[in-house]
Amino acid sequence: MQEPVFSYVPGASVLHRLDPRTKVTTVMLLGILTFRIDNFAGIVALFAFFFVLALLSGLPVKVFLRAVRPMMLFIFFIFLTQMFFTDGRPFASYWILQPSLEGVEKGLKLAARCILLLLFAALLTASTDPSAITCGVERMVRPLPLRWLGISSFELATMMNISIAFFPLLFERVERTKAAQTARGMDFVKNPLRSIPALAIPLLRGVIRDAEELALAMEGRGYRGNRRTSIHELSMQKNDWEALFILVLFILFILIL
Amino acid sequence: MIRLEKVSYSYPDGTPALKNLNLVIKKGEFIGVIGRNGSGKSTLALQLSGLLKPQAGKVMIRGMDTRDPSKLPEIRKFVGIVFQNPDTQFVGRTVEEDLAFGPENLCFSPMEIRKCVDMALAETGLEKYRHRSPKTLSGGQGQCVALAGVLAMRPECLIFDEVTSMLDPESGIAVLKTIKKLHRKGKTIVYITHNLEELHDADRIIVMEKGKIMLEGEPESVFSDISLETLGLDLPSLIELAENLKTHGVIIPWEKTASPQSFAEEICQLFLKT
Repeated sequence: MQEPVFSYVPGASVLHRLDPRTKVTTVMLLGILTFRIDNFAGIVALFAFFFVLALLSGLPVKVFLRAVRPMMLFIFFIFLTQMFFTDGRPFASYWILQPSLEGVEKGLKLAARCILLLLFAALLTASTDPSAITCGVERMVRPLPLRWLGISSFELATMMNISIAFFPLLFERVERTKAAQTARGMDFVKNPLRSIPALAIPLLRGVIRDAEELALAMEGRGYRGNRRTSIHELSMQKNDWEALFILVLFILFILIL
Repeated sequence: MIRLEKVSYSYPDGTPALKNLNLVIKKGEFIGVIGRNGSGKSTLALQLSGLLKPQAGKVMIRGMDTRDPSKLPEIRKFVGIVFQNPDTQFVGRTVEEDLAFGPENLCFSPMEIRKCVDMALAETGLEKYRHRSPKTLSGGQGQCVALAGVLAMRPECLIFDEVTSMLDPESGIAVLKTIKKLHRKGKTIVYITHNLEELHDADRIIVMEKGKIMLEGEPESVFSDISLETLGLDLPSLIELAENLKTHGVIIPWEKTASPQSFAEEICQLFLKT
């Protein structure tokens, strides 16, 4: 089976050991920074920063390739649109399309930003156990007044956890329903319009029943949607503060650049 | 320990599931519950665990009324329930995380949670699967994870709602073995099943029909009751064989009907005597 994109790769590097909150904050700040800076020097510096982190993480290169590859076509498309539809000095002319130098520059920057974003995201998800991310996010949003939205940070975390845990079951169900309908003569290739409801309705019914069973099992295990603790112990270590300090220095450096 | 007093319950669509039911479960008992589909077995399980509240009568769990919401956390800690389908009972991505779910809900500290998880893993023999995803395990192992998830909350009473019906016979036997081990350690067990063979050494068997208890007693007396077949239940083949032999004047003692081996030994001995 092909490993899913953005999956966790267990390890014991400095990056793996950092608190998930540190890592989530870092990726968020770097993401904002990526789209704030407007010079090539900054982008190069960000790439350099990424390479340092990637080396520290000890993760295999394929983790990062896997994150970027599926988006390459999209990124290339962004580059082309920027190149052709930005006003500026044209360096060539094909029919009505006139690629401009400014366009190339803009396109390159945008493509580089997208790639950076994907790489940083891959770095986060590959070096952090998903449930630790959830736990970290829960702790970070706990002070926010989510009550006004009618949910608590604990519910949010549980929802994140369960949706990730439930995905494989959903796919399994799709396959099973598909097989059941094929066995009864449904042709999914020839007759896509008719086959969609034939697939969707039993699927929906099954999923709702699964969800009800799950809800019962969760309730039986004491879930009440309010305050709960976590097996993951989160505590900001000296390492975390150091990492955040370095991050702030780096951000200042880039902004001055 | 658990007491049902005149409990009635109907589902929202109007089908009555339990009618005026009285039942007392004593500490350390192994109670088997049988009955055809729709006889109210699963509703009984939900009532016993406090997941459903009676519409009439009351369910008292160690002196706590299940209708009192303030007692629910305490009740959940005391009674655990395992369902039929292991797949829809998982909430974690690894076995360890899944087992942590219950203790997390009880607001234990991370250290206590670890302790609960380790204990539950040891009791079900799942230590080596700690970091695996529960979905990659076999059906029997999956059901063991579901059982361990409940055990991690250290309940004194465990309710099993047809937990072996989706498993192959071999894994079913393995799961039942784990359950019997827990019973020997002093846990109170309520075991719902369609497979009467699994209840040969239960302390007491309850036969449900149309929301009522039709028969109740030790396995020996329940299995020999002729009304059992009218309730759509199949006797274990060894017991049926013993019953048939009895009409021919050959008496096989109850204990010997537990397994084909003991049955064969008894027949051989009778054979040698004559």
